[in-house]
Amino acid sequence: MWLSILGLILGISLGLLTDIQIPPEYANYLSIAVLASLDTLFGGIRAHLQQVYDDKVFVSGFFFNIVLAAGLAFLGVHLGVDLYLAAIFAFGVRLFQNIAVIRRIILAKWAEKKEVRGTI
Amino acid sequence: MKKRILTRFTAIMFIIGLMAAIQYNTINEPDLRDTRDEWEIRQELSREKQLHSQLLSEIGSLDETLDKYRAAADASPEQALRETAGELRKSAGLSEAKGPGIEVLVEPSLEAVAMGLEIEGISPDLLIRLVNEINRYNGLYVSIDGKRIINTTAIRDINGQTAVNTKPVDTPPFSIKIISESMEDSEKLYNHLLASRILDDFYIDNLTLNVSEPQYELIIEAYDGTVDTKYLQASEGE
Repeated sequence: MWLSILGLILGISLGLLTDIQIPPEYANYLSIAVLASLDTLFGGIRAHLQQVYDDKVFVSGFFFNIVLAAGLAFLGVHLGVDLYLAAIFAFGVRLFQNIAVIRRIILAKWAEKKEVRGTI
Repeated sequence: MKKRILTRFTAIMFIIGLMAAIQYNTINEPDLRDTRDEWEIRQELSREKQLHSQLLSEIGSLDETLDKYRAAADASPEQALRETAGELRKSAGLSEAKGPGIEVLVEPSLEAVAMGLEIEGISPDLLIRLVNEINRYNGLYVSIDGKRIINTTAIRDINGQTAVNTKPVDTPPFSIKIISESMEDSEKLYNHLLASRILDDFYIDNLTLNVSEPQYELIIEAYDGTVDTKYLQASEGE
């Protein structure tokens, strides 16, 4: 777990230190991509906690979701419909659901541990 | 197995962090830098100084008026008021103006005459450009073909004829009189008009501008209409 947080910190610091910028008109796509990746990440954590984690599903979901979201946003820009809102909505809702499930699982595990300790 | 999951997670977290950081960089663009060089800053400074001195001179003249009022308060307040009213009328263009200035004669160009082209009236756009040019270079009082320019003057097309103060301007030749604050200003205006690109603009319309040498005393007639003050409101004061 600490290794993955280290990876996150490494990524953030690399991005900030190299001062990479993308053209502002693409900022929309990147924000959606970040949201999609966060959604996949929390989905993966949940799956892992529920013991249904599948490597292929996780990695393919990560890239596929990003591409799909960016593609939807791109299509939306060209059709004049704010389709990226659909992506934001879908990912947002799923993000909250996943986090809620993760919270419940962790709480249940914690309560179980406490009970076990109490019986000893 | 667990190790592999961890590596995947780490890689994905790395990508997420990178994307978030790039997004942050893009959204938080640095403030616009001041890239003016010394010369531009100097120019800005000189503009502000000009404004400063202009304001100072305005304050000076207002102080003078105030002093005059104070001095005349017990002697004859009526006289002071009359003087002020006279000055206001003068600056509004309601009385005759006298001072150093130049006279500009708008004539058909020699080529147009030689070719036998029909002389058309001057267009309102061209006239407005000329008046702007004059105002830019310290023209204080202006009259076009005997029509005094005041603050509310409209130069426009009325039924195909260019009109100033709703009165039609003659087809060229006609004269434009310009009074400046001082002889020096008149000379500046004279030189500026001689070198101005507006001469080319007039030439396109088959007209030439004949600018006379600055004269010490030029008289510009008063505005002869009534000034419509329907939409004016008294200011609140300071």
